Amino acid sequence: MSWLPEQAPGSNPLERVYGLRPNLFEAWRDFAQLFWEKRLLDPVLLELVRLRVAQMHQAAFPLASRRPEARAAGLSEAKIAELDHWWRSPAFGATEQACLRFAEQFVLDAKGMTDEQARPVVQALGEPGTVALVEALAIFDGFGRFCRMLEIEPEDA
Amino acid sequence: MSQPRVRPPAKPVGGDPITASALGHQPESLQAFLRLYGTLWSHGIVDQPTKEMARIRNARIVDCVVCKNTRFAGPREQGLTEDIVDQIRDGFEASDLTPRQKAVLRWTDAFLSPEPVPDEALRQEMLRHFKPAELVELTAAISIFMGFSKIAVSLGGMPETLPIMVEKTPDWPQ
Repeated sequence: MSWLPEQAPGSNPLERVYGLRPNLFEAWRDFAQLFWEKRLLDPVLLELVRLRVAQMHQAAFPLASRRPEARAAGLSEAKIAELDHWWRSPAFGATEQACLRFAEQFVLDAKGMTDEQARPVVQALGEPGTVALVEALAIFDGFGRFCRMLEIEPEDA
Repeated sequence: MSQPRVRPPAKPVGGDPITASALGHQPESLQAFLRLYGTLWSHGIVDQPTKEMARIRNARIVDCVVCKNTRFAGPREQGLTEDIVDQIRDGFEASDLTPRQKAVLRWTDAFLSPEPVPDEALRQEMLRHFKPAELVELTAAISIFMGFSKIAVSLGGMPETLPIMVEKTPDWPQ
Protein backbone atom coordinates (compact mmCIF):
# COMPACT_ATOMS: atom_id res chain seq x y z
CA MET A 1 0.00 0.00 0.00
CA SER A 2 1.33 3.40 -0.94
CA TRP A 3 2.98 5.48 1.75
CA LEU A 4 1.04 8.54 0.63
CA PRO A 5 -1.21 9.65 3.50
CA GLU A 6 -4.19 10.27 1.20
CA GLN A 7 -5.83 8.09 -1.39
CA ALA A 8 -8.48 8.66 -4.02
CA PRO A 9 -11.49 6.39 -4.46
CA GLY A 10 -10.65 3.53 -6.77
CA SER A 11 -10.88 -0.19 -7.39
CA ASN A 12 -7.13 -0.85 -7.41
CA PRO A 13 -3.91 0.65 -5.96
CA LEU A 14 -3.10 2.58 -9.14
CA GLU A 15 -6.49 4.27 -9.25
CA ARG A 16 -6.21 5.18 -5.58
CA VAL A 17 -2.86 6.91 -6.12
CA TYR A 18 -2.91 8.32 -9.67
CA GLY A 19 -6.59 9.11 -9.15
CA LEU A 20 -5.50 11.93 -6.82
CA ARG A 21 -4.84 13.76 -10.09
CA PRO A 22 -7.88 12.69 -12.10
CA ASN A 23 -7.49 14.74 -15.29
CA LEU A 24 -3.83 13.81 -15.57
CA PHE A 25 -4.59 10.15 -14.91
CA GLU A 26 -7.25 10.15 -17.61
CA ALA A 27 -4.91 11.74 -20.17
CA TRP A 28 -2.12 9.30 -19.27
CA ARG A 29 -4.45 6.31 -19.58
CA ASP A 30 -5.72 7.50 -22.94
CA PHE A 31 -2.14 7.71 -24.19
CA ALA A 32 -1.05 4.37 -22.73
CA GLN A 33 -4.15 2.50 -23.93
CA LEU A 34 -3.71 3.66 -27.50
CA PHE A 35 -0.84 1.27 -28.16
CA TRP A 36 -3.07 -1.71 -27.40
CA GLU A 37 -6.35 -0.44 -28.80
CA LYS A 38 -4.90 0.74 -32.11
CA ARG A 39 -2.41 -2.13 -32.33
CA LEU A 40 0.49 0.21 -33.01
CA LEU A 41 2.73 -2.81 -32.41
CA ASP A 42 2.22 -6.55 -32.30
CA PRO A 43 0.62 -7.15 -28.85
CA VAL A 44 2.91 -10.08 -28.01
CA LEU A 45 6.00 -7.98 -28.68
CA LEU A 46 4.52 -5.06 -26.76
CA GLU A 47 3.71 -7.28 -23.77
CA LEU A 48 7.18 -8.81 -23.77
CA VAL A 49 8.91 -5.44 -23.60
CA ARG A 50 6.37 -4.18 -21.05
CA LEU A 51 7.09 -7.09 -18.73
CA ARG A 52 10.84 -6.96 -19.30
CA VAL A 53 10.94 -3.28 -18.33
CA ALA A 54 8.85 -4.06 -15.25
CA GLN A 55 11.29 -6.84 -14.34
CA MET A 56 14.21 -4.43 -14.63
CA HIS A 57 12.49 -2.06 -12.21
CA GLN A 58 11.25 -4.89 -9.96
CA ALA A 59 7.90 -3.16 -10.27
CA ALA A 60 5.40 -5.58 -8.78
CA PHE A 61 2.26 -3.81 -9.95
CA PRO A 62 2.86 -3.98 -13.71
CA LEU A 63 4.46 -7.43 -13.30
CA ALA A 64 1.28 -8.77 -11.74
CA SER A 65 -0.93 -7.95 -14.71
CA ARG A 66 -1.29 -9.48 -18.16
CA ARG A 67 -2.65 -7.76 -21.24
CA PRO A 68 -5.54 -9.73 -22.71
CA GLU A 69 -4.56 -8.65 -26.23
CA ALA A 70 -1.23 -10.46 -25.88
CA ARG A 71 -2.78 -13.57 -24.39
CA ALA A 72 -5.35 -13.66 -27.20
CA ALA A 73 -2.49 -13.36 -29.69
CA GLY A 74 -0.85 -16.46 -28.23
CA LEU A 75 1.60 -15.28 -25.56
CA SER A 76 1.90 -18.05 -22.99
CA GLU A 77 3.00 -18.01 -19.36
CA ALA A 78 5.70 -20.49 -20.32
CA LYS A 79 7.27 -17.93 -22.63
CA ILE A 80 6.90 -15.15 -20.04
CA ALA A 81 8.78 -17.38 -17.61
CA GLU A 82 11.73 -17.30 -20.02
CA LEU A 83 11.80 -13.51 -20.13
CA ASP A 84 14.29 -12.92 -17.32
CA HIS A 85 16.91 -14.86 -19.31
CA TRP A 86 15.66 -14.08 -22.83
CA TRP A 87 19.18 -13.76 -24.27
CA ARG A 88 19.87 -17.48 -23.81
CA SER A 89 16.38 -18.76 -24.41
CA PRO A 90 15.30 -20.31 -27.72
CA ALA A 91 11.74 -19.09 -27.06
CA PHE A 92 12.41 -15.67 -28.59
CA GLY A 93 12.74 -14.86 -32.25
CA ALA A 94 15.22 -12.44 -33.78
CA THR A 95 12.84 -9.46 -33.74
CA GLU A 96 11.85 -10.10 -30.14
CA GLN A 97 15.50 -10.36 -29.12
CA ALA A 98 16.39 -7.15 -30.95
CA CYS A 99 13.52 -5.30 -29.28
CA LEU A 100 14.33 -6.66 -25.83
CA ARG A 101 17.95 -5.61 -26.24
CA PHE A 102 16.79 -2.17 -27.36
CA ALA A 103 14.37 -1.96 -24.41
CA GLU A 104 17.07 -2.75 -21.88
CA GLN A 105 19.39 -0.13 -23.31
CA PHE A 106 16.54 2.40 -23.30
CA VAL A 107 15.94 1.83 -19.60
CA LEU A 108 19.58 1.73 -18.55
CA ASP A 109 21.07 4.48 -20.71
CA ALA A 110 19.09 5.72 -23.70
CA LYS A 111 21.90 8.06 -24.73
CA GLY A 112 24.18 5.05 -24.98
CA MET A 113 21.98 3.40 -27.62
CA THR A 114 24.18 2.26 -30.51
CA ASP A 115 23.38 1.98 -34.21
CA GLU A 116 24.05 -1.75 -33.88
CA GLN A 117 21.29 -1.99 -31.28
CA ALA A 118 18.85 0.21 -33.18
CA ARG A 119 19.36 -1.00 -36.75
CA PRO A 120 17.74 -4.47 -36.41
CA VAL A 121 14.75 -2.88 -34.68
CA VAL A 122 14.21 -0.34 -37.46
CA GLN A 123 14.69 -3.08 -40.07
CA ALA A 124 12.14 -5.33 -38.40
CA LEU A 125 9.50 -2.80 -37.34
CA GLY A 126 9.96 -0.07 -39.92
CA GLU A 127 10.12 3.60 -39.00
CA PRO A 128 6.51 3.93 -37.72
CA GLY A 129 6.91 0.74 -35.69
CA THR A 130 10.16 1.95 -34.18
CA VAL A 131 8.53 5.22 -33.14
CA ALA A 132 5.69 3.24 -31.55
CA LEU A 133 8.22 1.08 -29.71
CA VAL A 134 10.16 4.00 -28.22
CA GLU A 135 6.94 5.71 -27.18
CA ALA A 136 5.71 2.54 -25.51
CA LEU A 137 9.07 2.10 -23.78
CA ALA A 138 8.81 5.64 -22.47
CA ILE A 139 5.46 4.77 -20.92
CA PHE A 140 6.63 1.45 -19.44
CA ASP A 141 9.89 2.85 -18.07
CA GLY A 142 8.16 5.84 -16.52
CA PHE A 143 5.34 3.75 -15.13
CA GLY A 144 7.63 1.22 -13.45
CA ARG A 145 9.56 4.00 -11.76
CA PHE A 146 6.33 5.82 -10.81
CA CYS A 147 5.05 2.66 -9.11
CA ARG A 148 8.30 2.15 -7.20
CA MET A 149 8.54 5.77 -6.07
CA LEU A 150 4.99 5.88 -4.74
CA GLU A 151 4.88 2.22 -3.65
CA ILE A 152 2.01 1.15 -5.85
CA GLU A 153 1.87 -2.61 -5.41
CA PRO A 154 -0.66 -5.37 -6.05
CA GLU A 155 -3.30 -5.81 -3.36
CA ASP A 156 -1.93 -9.15 -2.23
CA ALA A 157 1.75 -8.13 -2.17
CA MET B 1 24.83 16.02 -35.25
CA SER B 2 24.30 12.28 -34.75
CA GLN B 3 22.68 10.34 -37.56
CA PRO B 4 18.91 9.98 -37.19
CA ARG B 5 17.80 6.36 -36.80
CA VAL B 6 14.30 7.23 -37.96
CA ARG B 7 13.77 9.89 -40.62
CA PRO B 8 10.82 12.29 -40.44
CA PRO B 9 7.76 11.26 -42.44
CA ALA B 10 7.85 12.32 -46.09
CA LYS B 11 4.37 13.84 -45.81
CA PRO B 12 3.72 14.96 -42.22
CA VAL B 13 0.11 15.46 -41.15
CA GLY B 14 0.79 18.92 -39.68
CA GLY B 15 3.24 21.74 -40.29
CA ASP B 16 4.59 22.27 -36.77
CA PRO B 17 8.13 21.08 -35.90
CA ILE B 18 7.06 18.19 -33.69
CA THR B 19 4.58 16.77 -36.21
CA ALA B 20 7.24 17.12 -38.89
CA SER B 21 9.73 15.16 -36.74
CA ALA B 22 10.05 11.37 -36.57
CA LEU B 23 7.20 11.38 -34.06
CA GLY B 24 4.92 12.31 -36.95
CA HIS B 25 5.06 8.64 -38.04
CA GLN B 26 2.49 7.97 -35.31
CA PRO B 27 0.05 10.90 -35.50
CA GLU B 28 -2.56 9.38 -33.17
CA SER B 29 -0.13 8.67 -30.36
CA LEU B 30 1.47 12.06 -30.88
CA GLN B 31 -1.88 13.77 -30.40
CA ALA B 32 -2.55 11.72 -27.27
CA PHE B 33 0.89 12.63 -25.94
CA LEU B 34 0.38 16.32 -26.66
CA ARG B 35 -2.93 16.21 -24.81
CA LEU B 36 -1.21 14.58 -21.83
CA TYR B 37 1.61 17.12 -21.94
CA GLY B 38 -0.83 20.02 -22.21
CA THR B 39 -2.82 18.69 -19.26
CA LEU B 40 0.34 18.42 -17.20
CA TRP B 41 1.60 21.92 -17.95
CA SER B 42 -1.54 24.03 -18.22
CA HIS B 43 -4.21 22.12 -16.28
CA GLY B 44 -2.21 20.95 -13.28
CA ILE B 45 -1.97 21.86 -9.60
CA VAL B 46 1.82 22.05 -9.20
CA ASP B 47 3.34 25.43 -10.05
CA GLN B 48 5.08 25.58 -13.42
CA PRO B 49 8.54 26.63 -12.12
CA THR B 50 8.67 23.50 -9.96
CA LYS B 51 7.86 21.25 -12.92
CA GLU B 52 10.35 23.14 -15.09
CA MET B 53 13.11 22.53 -12.55
CA ALA B 54 12.38 18.80 -12.59
CA ARG B 55 12.23 18.83 -16.41
CA ILE B 56 15.62 20.53 -16.73
CA ARG B 57 17.21 18.29 -14.10
CA ASN B 58 15.96 15.27 -16.06
CA ALA B 59 17.20 16.75 -19.35
CA ARG B 60 20.69 17.21 -17.94
CA ILE B 61 20.85 13.67 -16.56
CA VAL B 62 19.46 11.98 -19.69
CA ASP B 63 21.60 14.41 -21.72
CA CYS B 64 18.98 15.45 -24.25
CA VAL B 65 20.33 18.53 -26.04
CA VAL B 66 16.90 19.72 -27.20
CA CYS B 67 15.31 19.29 -23.74
CA LYS B 68 18.28 20.92 -22.00
CA ASN B 69 18.05 24.05 -24.13
CA THR B 70 14.30 24.45 -24.17
CA ARG B 71 12.65 26.82 -21.70
CA PHE B 72 8.90 27.16 -21.36
CA ALA B 73 7.59 30.70 -21.19
CA GLY B 74 5.23 30.17 -18.25
CA PRO B 75 7.87 29.19 -15.68
CA ARG B 76 10.05 32.11 -16.80
CA GLU B 77 7.20 34.54 -16.36
CA GLN B 78 6.62 33.05 -12.92
CA GLY B 79 10.18 33.73 -11.78
CA LEU B 80 12.37 30.83 -12.90
CA THR B 81 15.39 32.83 -14.03
CA GLU B 82 18.51 31.50 -15.75
CA ASP B 83 20.38 32.19 -12.51
CA ILE B 84 18.20 29.57 -10.85
CA VAL B 85 18.40 27.21 -13.83
CA ASP B 86 22.21 27.40 -13.69
CA GLN B 87 22.06 25.83 -10.23
CA ILE B 88 20.18 22.73 -11.40
CA ARG B 89 23.44 20.84 -11.66
CA ASP B 90 25.43 18.24 -9.77
CA GLY B 91 26.46 19.97 -6.57
CA PHE B 92 23.06 21.66 -6.20
CA GLU B 93 23.05 20.74 -2.50
CA ALA B 94 25.61 23.48 -1.89
CA SER B 95 23.75 26.02 -4.04
CA ASP B 96 21.50 28.92 -3.09
CA LEU B 97 18.37 27.01 -4.12
CA THR B 98 15.60 26.89 -1.54
CA PRO B 99 15.00 23.73 0.54
CA ARG B 100 11.85 23.06 -1.53
CA GLN B 101 13.75 23.41 -4.82
CA LYS B 102 16.50 21.10 -3.58
CA ALA B 103 13.88 18.57 -2.51
CA VAL B 104 12.45 18.59 -6.05
CA LEU B 105 15.89 17.85 -7.48
CA ARG B 106 16.50 15.06 -4.95
CA TRP B 107 13.13 13.58 -5.90
CA THR B 108 14.01 13.77 -9.60
CA ASP B 109 17.38 12.15 -9.00
CA ALA B 110 15.75 9.34 -7.02
CA PHE B 111 13.25 8.75 -9.81
CA LEU B 112 16.00 8.53 -12.43
CA SER B 113 18.29 6.31 -10.35
CA PRO B 114 18.75 2.60 -11.07
CA GLU B 115 16.83 1.80 -7.87
CA PRO B 116 13.95 4.31 -7.94
CA VAL B 117 12.87 3.99 -4.32
CA PRO B 118 12.97 7.07 -2.05
CA ASP B 119 14.11 6.57 1.50
CA GLU B 120 11.93 7.54 4.44
CA ALA B 121 13.70 10.86 4.99
CA LEU B 122 13.07 11.94 1.40
CA ARG B 123 9.43 10.85 1.56
CA GLN B 124 8.85 12.90 4.69
CA GLU B 125 10.68 15.86 3.24
CA MET B 126 8.52 15.80 0.12
CA LEU B 127 5.37 15.62 2.23
CA ARG B 128 6.49 18.74 4.08
CA HIS B 129 6.59 20.64 0.79
CA PHE B 130 3.83 18.99 -1.25
CA LYS B 131 0.30 17.69 -0.75
CA PRO B 132 -0.16 14.06 -1.84
CA ALA B 133 -1.98 15.05 -5.04
CA GLU B 134 0.84 17.47 -5.90
CA LEU B 135 3.41 14.77 -5.29
CA VAL B 136 1.56 12.42 -7.63
CA GLU B 137 1.55 15.12 -10.30
CA LEU B 138 5.24 15.90 -9.83
CA THR B 139 6.18 12.22 -10.02
CA ALA B 140 4.03 11.72 -13.12
CA ALA B 141 5.64 14.82 -14.61
CA ILE B 142 9.13 13.39 -14.17
CA SER B 143 8.01 10.12 -15.78
CA ILE B 144 6.77 12.06 -18.81
CA PHE B 145 9.88 14.25 -19.01
CA MET B 146 12.15 11.21 -18.78
CA GLY B 147 10.19 9.34 -21.42
CA PHE B 148 10.17 12.20 -23.89
CA SER B 149 13.89 12.88 -23.53
CA LYS B 150 14.76 9.19 -23.85
CA ILE B 151 12.66 9.01 -27.01
CA ALA B 152 14.56 11.96 -28.43
CA VAL B 153 18.05 10.63 -27.67
CA SER B 154 17.35 7.04 -28.69
CA LEU B 155 16.00 8.06 -32.11
CA GLY B 156 19.24 9.94 -32.82
CA GLY B 157 19.66 12.95 -35.09
CA MET B 158 20.38 15.22 -32.15
CA PRO B 159 22.56 18.33 -32.67
CA GLU B 160 25.69 18.70 -30.54
CA THR B 161 24.66 22.12 -29.24
CA LEU B 162 21.72 24.49 -29.41
CA PRO B 163 21.01 28.00 -28.15
CA ILE B 164 18.44 28.47 -25.39
CA MET B 165 14.99 28.35 -27.01
CA VAL B 166 11.98 29.84 -25.21
CA GLU B 167 8.80 28.01 -26.23
CA LYS B 168 5.16 28.54 -25.48
CA THR B 169 4.05 26.57 -22.43
CA PRO B 170 2.31 23.40 -23.67
CA ASP B 171 -1.46 23.33 -23.60
CA TRP B 172 -4.05 21.09 -25.18
CA PRO B 173 -3.61 20.76 -28.95
CA GLN B 174 -6.10 22.70 -31.05
